[in-house]
Amino acid sequence: MKINIIFGGKAGQGSNFLGVLLGKVAVKLGYYAFYYRDYQSLIRGGHNYNALTFSDQPVYSNETKIDLLVALDDNSIKIHEKNLKKDGYILKGNNKNTFFAGALFKILGIDMKILEDELKKLKRFEENMQYAKEGYASEKERFSIKKIKQTKDLKFINGTQGLAKGAIESGLDIYYAYPMTPATPVLGALAKKQVEGNYLVLELENEISVINAAVGSAMTGAKVMVGTSGGGFDLMSETISLCGMAEIPVVIYLAQRPGPGTGVPTYSLQCDLDVARHVGHGEFPRLVLAPGDPNEAYQLASEAFYFSQKYKIPSIVISDKHLAESIYTMDNKLKLKKSTKSTSLKKYTSYEHTTKGLTTEDPEDTIEGFKRRLKTTKDISEEANKFEMFKIHGNIKSKNLVLAWGSTKGAVLDAIKDLDCKFLQILYIEPFSREIKEHIEKAKNVLIIESNSTSQLSGLIAEKTGFIIQDKNKILKYDARPFYLAELREEIKKRLK
Amino acid sequence: MNKDELNTKVVSTWCPGCPNFMILEGVKRAIAAESTKDKKSEFAVVSGIGCHAKIFDYINLPGLNSLHGRVLPTCLGLKVGNPNLKVVGFSGDGDCYSEGISHLIHAARYNADFKYIVHNNQVFALTVGQPTATTEIGYKDGTTFPFGVKTMPLNPIKLMLASGATFVARVFSDINQVESVLKVAFNHKGFAFIEILQPCITFHPDIGYKEKTYLLENEKHDKSSLDAAMKKADEFDYNTAKKIPLGIFYQERKETLEEKYPQLVNLNKKSSSWKDINR
Repeated sequence: MKINIIFGGKAGQGSNFLGVLLGKVAVKLGYYAFYYRDYQSLIRGGHNYNALTFSDQPVYSNETKIDLLVALDDNSIKIHEKNLKKDGYILKGNNKNTFFAGALFKILGIDMKILEDELKKLKRFEENMQYAKEGYASEKERFSIKKIKQTKDLKFINGTQGLAKGAIESGLDIYYAYPMTPATPVLGALAKKQVEGNYLVLELENEISVINAAVGSAMTGAKVMVGTSGGGFDLMSETISLCGMAEIPVVIYLAQRPGPGTGVPTYSLQCDLDVARHVGHGEFPRLVLAPGDPNEAYQLASEAFYFSQKYKIPSIVISDKHLAESIYTMDNKLKLKKSTKSTSLKKYTSYEHTTKGLTTEDPEDTIEGFKRRLKTTKDISEEANKFEMFKIHGNIKSKNLVLAWGSTKGAVLDAIKDLDCKFLQILYIEPFSREIKEHIEKAKNVLIIESNSTSQLSGLIAEKTGFIIQDKNKILKYDARPFYLAELREEIKKRLK
Repeated sequence: MNKDELNTKVVSTWCPGCPNFMILEGVKRAIAAESTKDKKSEFAVVSGIGCHAKIFDYINLPGLNSLHGRVLPTCLGLKVGNPNLKVVGFSGDGDCYSEGISHLIHAARYNADFKYIVHNNQVFALTVGQPTATTEIGYKDGTTFPFGVKTMPLNPIKLMLASGATFVARVFSDINQVESVLKVAFNHKGFAFIEILQPCITFHPDIGYKEKTYLLENEKHDKSSLDAAMKKADEFDYNTAKKIPLGIFYQERKETLEEKYPQLVNLNKKSSSWKDINR
């Protein structure tokens, strides 16, 4: 059983409110839900839509064919009607959000009491309840969504919440940021709880200020994180290089958006793997991690802090809008790596320096500096082997191997269901697990799935393993929209051996 | 703290006779006096890139010799990381007015409690003499600007006054002037902007500025008046000099950034920093 719903309307009309509400309720009823937000770079008007899929089985992606279209304006009908299944239904009209909520509950056959509980959490309960009742009475039941038995403790959260929770529970002291989609929600999530959580959130004048303030605070021993997207990350690059030289621990949250330039700012692609790996001039140790769902964002945030603190390096956690803003159904099993603060105030410098922190231009000292950084890179690599650097999903014995990283995880998981396919999801980009080479060598057929045009992961694989992935085995999507289940499944099937 | 405790063993690479030596001496005297007055005080220093930045190696205090133009956000980060620190930032005119100018305006606006010294020699000295944002019209360096500077210099004092800085001062690179203004700045709660006019003996020697300077404290200058400060700031446009006022142009007590966040107020009360919090 699987239901696909689109909520469409103009920006500001509230299609997101309805979608999130229903997603939450579906998870409460024991279902797995996946919720995707599609919005433009504008505040009022235009066309926004949200896609909710829920099922009695785990689900991490949406389908193109929909069962129900909730259209808050005519434009939404025009755009999405073609994807409606034969027996699909359109809920339309011009009314209050809570009216539609009532109508939706009736159409889906969900108990009105559940809606009442949700509306109690909002302002103007009486008024909203009245609208909801009217909406409920205006439609007839078309689906029968009943509570199902769910043994797991499920929650409905997005990547932003996972990452923010991970940072807080890793002992975050200060978060600096300058607003930039799609990193901004982390700024919002952290800012809200800063007083009760006794950490500090500061928005500064630009990303250059943000990363340099982070350096200043990190020097005093504070655990510091900054957040940005591609353009802001580019601005930070000189100071990330400084962190590499001066040995200063900072965690950098990089929420990718489709570039180059301003690109397609409110949509999602995975084009910044290369820049994360190579950011900053010079050669220096760094950690680059790529979570694929909110629980992994939580876990990897803590590992980023751990490695940053232990080795005094910049750690980069890569996300994108698809992970940051889509809402996933996750179980409550979270893994946290604790870290202790390691830095204290002393003389730091952006120049090459001796172990005592004194500036040097001496050739022997210069070599020593390089050796020190190379050793740190090696030590990190060794210790990382004790961590879960990648995950294997699907049929572990299959000779068909799919490689992917980051937010495509969900769509790949859904797409390979029942296919003869082993899915290796890479969590640690830098350092890179040696074991991945063995998995590639064991496979007869290696596919790569990425949301970019040049397959940056193929470049990484080639560099680290010497294995060249054939172009015909690269499934690349770069329309800045997520992979939909049917299309991805077809593309994989075509390439299976 | 004895002033000599601030010495390091690093051999100075400033040109012999560089006024930076006088700035260094004045700074050391003021810091030594401040540390004696407040025995619990912990200092941190930050410098950027340029001749000024070498001062970091010659003062035995922790901190960062940072990147070009980024002294201010680093100082802010230090102060936010440990609100009990006494932070002094050093910049040059290239570092501050060219590369890092945006931070200067915002530093004035944030009003975090740290002291900021700009060594203004009106030239990029460490890159052998190119003009900066405060170099006068007509300046020729012989290599990159053979036809002379054509644009008007910036007036940093006016910029700071307009940006809401709570402490705005200018002195000459003279030991006593540097020492005494920094002592007053340490007593000021908030962001203190101190510009030091410093001839570069190699690329931009004194073009008759020193003899045109006079001290504001000898006049009836009202440093609590923004209007009076602006008028005084207008007397010298960094291009041609008739009279160059020196001293504190403006001083005002405003709530500091650290006083606005309860998290930082708590750290201050407990004389602790984030490092002491184990979660």
